[in-house]
Amino acid sequence: MSADAEPAPSADPEERFFVPAPAPPLPEDVPDGWQRLSSRVIWVDLAIVVISLLPAGIALAIGLDSGGGGGLWPLIGIAVFGAFGAVADAVRWLFTRYRVSSTHVELKTGVLFRVHRSIQRDRIRSVDAEAKLRHRLAALRVLEIGAGQQTAARESALKLDALSVDDAYAIRHELLDPVAVAADDPAPSIAVDGDFAAADGVDSIGAADTAGPGADGKRPAGAAETASDSPRAPTDEGTATGDEQPIAVFWRFEPRWVVFHVLSVWAYVVVLGLGWGGVALLGTFGIDVVDIVSGLVNWDAIGPLGTAAIAFVAATIGGVLALAVAFVTEYWGYELARVRGQEGTLLRTRRGLFTRREVNRAEHRIRGMQLSEPLLWRWMGATDTTVVTTGLSLWAVDQPASILPRGPLRVHRRVAGEVLDPEHAPLSAALTPHPRAALRRRLWWATLVTLAVAAILGWLVVTDVVPAVALVALIVVWPLTLAGAVVAYRALGHAIVGPYLVTRSGLNRRATVALQRDAVSTIVLRESLFQRRLGLRSVGTMTAAGRGGYDTLDLMRDDALAFATQAAPGLLDPFLVRGGE
Amino acid sequence: MSTEPPDPTPTGLRPPQHRIERRAIGWWMLQALFFPGPVLIGAIVAYALWDSARPWLIVVLVGAALMVLVAVLVEPFWRYRVHRWETTDEAVYALTGWLVREWRVAPLSRVQTVDGIQGPVEQLLGLSTLRVTTASSRGAIEIGGLDKATADRVAEDLTRIAQITTGDAT
Repeated sequence: MSADAEPAPSADPEERFFVPAPAPPLPEDVPDGWQRLSSRVIWVDLAIVVISLLPAGIALAIGLDSGGGGGLWPLIGIAVFGAFGAVADAVRWLFTRYRVSSTHVELKTGVLFRVHRSIQRDRIRSVDAEAKLRHRLAALRVLEIGAGQQTAARESALKLDALSVDDAYAIRHELLDPVAVAADDPAPSIAVDGDFAAADGVDSIGAADTAGPGADGKRPAGAAETASDSPRAPTDEGTATGDEQPIAVFWRFEPRWVVFHVLSVWAYVVVLGLGWGGVALLGTFGIDVVDIVSGLVNWDAIGPLGTAAIAFVAATIGGVLALAVAFVTEYWGYELARVRGQEGTLLRTRRGLFTRREVNRAEHRIRGMQLSEPLLWRWMGATDTTVVTTGLSLWAVDQPASILPRGPLRVHRRVAGEVLDPEHAPLSAALTPHPRAALRRRLWWATLVTLAVAAILGWLVVTDVVPAVALVALIVVWPLTLAGAVVAYRALGHAIVGPYLVTRSGLNRRATVALQRDAVSTIVLRESLFQRRLGLRSVGTMTAAGRGGYDTLDLMRDDALAFATQAAPGLLDPFLVRGGE
Repeated sequence: MSTEPPDPTPTGLRPPQHRIERRAIGWWMLQALFFPGPVLIGAIVAYALWDSARPWLIVVLVGAALMVLVAVLVEPFWRYRVHRWETTDEAVYALTGWLVREWRVAPLSRVQTVDGIQGPVEQLLGLSTLRVTTASSRGAIEIGGLDKATADRVAEDLTRIAQITTGDAT
């Protein structure tokens, strides 16, 4: 695939690095191929200055300033704000250069903070052209070049703001489709290129990269297979065609799982909301619910305690029923299946009684699986399962990474194993517990937290803000934090299982993650002063998928190193000190 | 488990080869003054003007003063002793931190962008920060306090090598 992205695989690399781009027909006004952004940016800035000065000017001209200047301030504010922004933009233009070579795209920008960013062309996953109104009027396009970074990074790899439409078109074509440019076979891109000139906000031919939930970019720029596979251009591979027969079905809706969805504080929130709405609604029809309820029984005879108890039971039943209905409507007909997609298999979930929701996840992007068990429901084994994958937003409301409704750990573990890797079943592996020093560290922290609370409380007592009785709270706080420390310690565990690393941690949500070792991109070893005294180190395994990285906390120093060397085979080898030395 | 580390088992991770510039101490000192400095000044002014708030303002004042003192007199020297970096044909390796130390290793085959960044103080001192990012949002490696020329050379080397190691880097 890299051969596709490098049209000139020849000569000394140093030399290649400095060869300016042959393809884009750009004015070679600067040596070394460094270009300025379009000079029209300056004209746009000038126009903005003029436009933002206009309201204040007009107001002055027609003598609106009769009220002693007070009415003018907002207009002056607009003028200053607009002019300042435009001037800043012009300065940015002045200090910005970019260069497209045969192997790299580079950008130099910034006045106070000088940034020189370079990005390899075969790492480029998407090139988006964006145009706001002012850009469209001036025939400019903002080019955003993405390298498949997770959205968590919150920045595109490189942004050229702005280029003329022709330059933007040329660069995008060149970056995304060097093969097609060379072979003069513009099959997949032209379909989209047609409406490029009529760019409506954003358009993109980064294939699936910005199109939908499958967005990210495991796909190299200009991948040749795109041309043959999807002649309809940017078809999101995440949307499987209609009624594909599943290869395998892993799980179907089980009504029994309702118990995992009704025990929640939300029950009371829901019942309060529904109750409030119901009373108000009935009130509009002249039905006074309060009157009816108070007439039902003799509340005075029951007494305040009994009344509270009855209200509590009624609220509980009502809330549980409401949540049960919500569970059924949301998850009715749930099916987790593997289906054929355009690029390998997809993991498909379908659910919903009234609205059917379907989410497809490309399996070649899945790097692992996570089981997480919330603390308060651990006694009943409640578990959530999410896939660790690139290109899915973790924060989306409909939680596309989740592949099962909350349910029993046993079933979740079995299904996750079957989906991920039935051969190795990394999530069922026995995990190595962590050393006692990790427990000691947590107990110390629990005590320190308690001491901090004690100090604050003590100070408040001394200054007579709270009564001295409040110190009794410490009797509750210390055992609670100590218990938390023990629970957090018992959650710790790790293992290497075939191609996976498995790590478990978490107090509030105990999360067990199985991650492909191939997917680990950066290894981080961390050691605080406190950990150093206890002989502990933590290992961070960073990856493009899921949360961006997973930590294995508090291993003995040697074990941490051993785990790190196995988590990313070969990466640490040049930096290791071997036994003999 | 086919990829066990070869024997003899590793006994340790050696520190990266290169230290950073001594000027970085000055850079950290100046930086440390930028944020807590105004807080400290504000606290002193408030303490002088606002009688009734003195009982709790003294806590803020002492806290801010301690923060500034530590950040200016302790942290930069401590960091200078710890910080080290190294690049090879396969990886970038950096050791940073003071109270919490971090060893970071990223393979060049996963590198996506190589940046040279110069903040205002760094421009003043002729220093530069090298930032190497990978596809992971948490996987970036930052090496601050390099000489501008060194940073430029290393960035150039890295982009050149990273381009030879091909792959799609996720």
